[in-house]
Amino acid sequence: MASILTSFKETGDAILKIAEKKGLDEAEAYLVSNKVLTIRLVNNAVFESKGVHDIGVGLRVIKGNMLGFSSTADLSKKSLERLVDAAVSTAKARKLPCKYSFPKLGKMPKVAGIYDKKLAELPSEKAVELAYGMVDASMAHSKKIVDNAGVLNVVNYETLVLNSHGVSAKNMGTFFEASLSATAKNGKNVSEGSEATAGRSIKELKPKNIGEKAAEMAVSGLKSQKLKEDTYTVILDYEPAVGVLGYISYLVSPMIAKLYFPLFLDKLGKKVASSQVTLIDDPLMPNGVGSAPVDDEGTPSKKQIIIDRGALKKFVYDSFYGAIEQKKTTGSAVRASFAVGVSAFPGKNYNGEPIPVPRNPYFKPGKWKREEILEETKQGLLVRRFHYTRLTNPTRGDFTSVLRMGLYAVKNGEIAGALKKSRLLDNLLNLLQNVNAVSDKLVVAGSWGDYAHTPVIRTKAHVAPID
Amino acid sequence: MEEDLALFAVEHASKLGAEYVDARFEDHYNELIIVANGKVQRGTINRKRGMGIRTLVNGAWGFQSTTDLTKKGIRQATEIAFKVGKASSKHVPTPVKLAPAKPYETSYKTKVKVDLEDIAFEDKLKQIITWEKKLHTSKKIVRGLAEYTGIKIHKVFVNNDGAKIRFFNSLAWVSLKADSKKGDMTQFYERTVGHSGGYAIFQKNDMEKIGSEVGRKAESLLKAKAAKTEKDATVIVDNDYAALLVHEIVGHPSEADRVLGREAAWAGTTWWAGKIGEKIGSDYFTAYDDPAIPGTLGYYQFDDEGVKAERKVLIEKGVLKGHMHSRETAAIFGVKPNAGMRAITFEYIPLIRMSNTFFGEGNWKKEELIEETKHGYLISCMRHPSIDDKRYNWTISAQEAYEIKNGELTTHLRDVALTSIAPKFFKSISAVTKKVEIVPLPGCGKGDPMQSLYVGNGGPYIRGVATILGVK
Repeated sequence: MASILTSFKETGDAILKIAEKKGLDEAEAYLVSNKVLTIRLVNNAVFESKGVHDIGVGLRVIKGNMLGFSSTADLSKKSLERLVDAAVSTAKARKLPCKYSFPKLGKMPKVAGIYDKKLAELPSEKAVELAYGMVDASMAHSKKIVDNAGVLNVVNYETLVLNSHGVSAKNMGTFFEASLSATAKNGKNVSEGSEATAGRSIKELKPKNIGEKAAEMAVSGLKSQKLKEDTYTVILDYEPAVGVLGYISYLVSPMIAKLYFPLFLDKLGKKVASSQVTLIDDPLMPNGVGSAPVDDEGTPSKKQIIIDRGALKKFVYDSFYGAIEQKKTTGSAVRASFAVGVSAFPGKNYNGEPIPVPRNPYFKPGKWKREEILEETKQGLLVRRFHYTRLTNPTRGDFTSVLRMGLYAVKNGEIAGALKKSRLLDNLLNLLQNVNAVSDKLVVAGSWGDYAHTPVIRTKAHVAPID
Repeated sequence: MEEDLALFAVEHASKLGAEYVDARFEDHYNELIIVANGKVQRGTINRKRGMGIRTLVNGAWGFQSTTDLTKKGIRQATEIAFKVGKASSKHVPTPVKLAPAKPYETSYKTKVKVDLEDIAFEDKLKQIITWEKKLHTSKKIVRGLAEYTGIKIHKVFVNNDGAKIRFFNSLAWVSLKADSKKGDMTQFYERTVGHSGGYAIFQKNDMEKIGSEVGRKAESLLKAKAAKTEKDATVIVDNDYAALLVHEIVGHPSEADRVLGREAAWAGTTWWAGKIGEKIGSDYFTAYDDPAIPGTLGYYQFDDEGVKAERKVLIEKGVLKGHMHSRETAAIFGVKPNAGMRAITFEYIPLIRMSNTFFGEGNWKKEELIEETKHGYLISCMRHPSIDDKRYNWTISAQEAYEIKNGELTTHLRDVALTSIAPKFFKSISAVTKKVEIVPLPGCGKGDPMQSLYVGNGGPYIRGVATILGVK
């Protein structure tokens, strides 16, 4: 199928021309085509198949020391005039505390493995079969599996950033996210298991693997004991490690830190984690789930260390928050809408101004093999899933997650049996400062639209049973 | 024009062989302003229009949305919706059946005194800056945050049963939050004001005064005493706390898709599945979901399947009476559909959602409840929920609490949460006040991809028994 980028260029140029005519100092158009195909599985069947094709443009304008933003899905000529007027109207009372200018032209790097034609053109019939393959594999794993639910999202996006400084940065990408939750039953005992992954190409999508892993976890929990409330050595497997990583990514955003999660605000240069913890953001990683040659305002991507052996080295910036704090952009602009009532699909979004956040963050792998971490744990817990993870006090760092499935006792280096539903209740800083082992490989894990590359980490945490 | 295109989609899908089809045209206007510590963080206007086409093909759901509102674009989207439905049908062992619903031809509007677009964006922005400023009642307020959302939606729904429904809605809300600090102690307090009905609510309420109140509350929490854990305490929860409580432990488990286990992989299931008709709480425990309350965030007269809205009785005098339904789940349960389906925009397929879910009234007065309590706690204003997947074990924190001794409010408490088991708490409800208040809850999440939707929740003051948790 022909790329939409040619017509995007014409539309974007037309918007910049209107902005210039209206006397604006600078303008920036961010055009998006985002296709999502979702196959939702429920009760061992395909529940619904749904597609979205979202096309639109977000416009930022600068006039003197004022900044405005507006977006529209209507790319007709009349609508583009209205778009510029709306952006101007939002700028009128928004006086900036500093001089601000959109990013200048930079050299665009290349990133391998972020677009797969086969995934982009995956027929819906094939997508349904791939999704259902997860259910098949789960059912085939054990007769004790009674129910499966899951989702396959296939995303194909194209974006173009154009601004008054001549930036013209295009970005194309594909990705999928696939997850399955399986329920096992044996007499009165019922247990759940799940597996979730994401990738950039069709060859990374392995439905059989996902189905089997979900089923294996479900069956393993059929015989489970009640946990005793205590502070444990806790091995956070890939998915819960992403749960922790997700919150840290917010904490190192100057915008999110100032508005919502201030835990790291006074900790720049200070120790926030054990020396085993190094947090890297590398949007140039080949095949990276968050990789792209440019960020969402056209700044070339670069690799950076955010937490270095436990010390918070930097916050990440887009051009706007960089200007406010007299820092340079770190190429960390991500367009995610804050507005309720506009879409927030997987993929790209034109409905909001950029937010500075790490784009492809991960904990630097350590020296331990995953099995070694388990073998060298005398007494503790293996946590394979987090649910309802919350930073309940974002100033103090109170952190909680429901350990609904995939929770095991570890004794003398071996899994000593599954444990019933429990709750982790601790402090995020304590969790980070108590990290004493990091595994040596990055694996893509996550859940519900939030995926990253991660190793396994071992720390300490307070865990209590849920009655 | 929109109606013609929607009718074309319905006609085309029917011709292709879909047994059911509906089309939703929507035009959205959306404003967002975020001000923190005097600085404007966001000031945006978003416009979006398009159509979502839903098909039922050989008993399987297909859906496609498009922003291409040409006949060609609609034809293409309709064909994809049909094709994906057909592809799905291979793995649908039990074909979907829909409970009958009367097709309505009507048009209705939310009553709006002041249209959002009639006030210049610049003026709104200036006002919100002022309200945020009022949060800073002293130097102890280290962070103020004001977030405004304004939404206008024009929606046209048609289906192949003959329904043609047009709806103009307008919603607005502001959340004000103040963070306070003294030494190592940090606290915060927040409040949301909002409704369906345009901008008038911010003229009716003294927002500057509310801003100052929020700031002073955040300050006062610095002096409050930390709550201590106390098992099975008598608690009186206020309207605002009751709103989150009813949302989490009555509203969500009442969604029939959840009852059927269809949300198991995401939000979870429901402990009361299969218990319709059973007594699960005291005689004082009644709960409803009612979309047809003008002025609330959850207001509508017809849902996104064209079903006429009515008050759903979820719990009556402690007996589990019914759930929130789609036409599909109503057919499974053998009941009448009750207008529970909503989608956040045309890009999403509708899901069973709360509208305005609230605890029913009693005949007590708030003062009487307090006077009659020898030892207990007044729990005030919602904060964070943490609920298990079956909505059985719940913990919900509050913004503040007061200890009640011999019928009087005494010590002011901070960092407090309640925890209990849902049926245990429901059985413990022993008194309920007469006055019900529904408050705005703008961010209820469900679905995959996630749909964050605005709802109303609330109730009267409720007396029950729960364990007090000192958060730290």
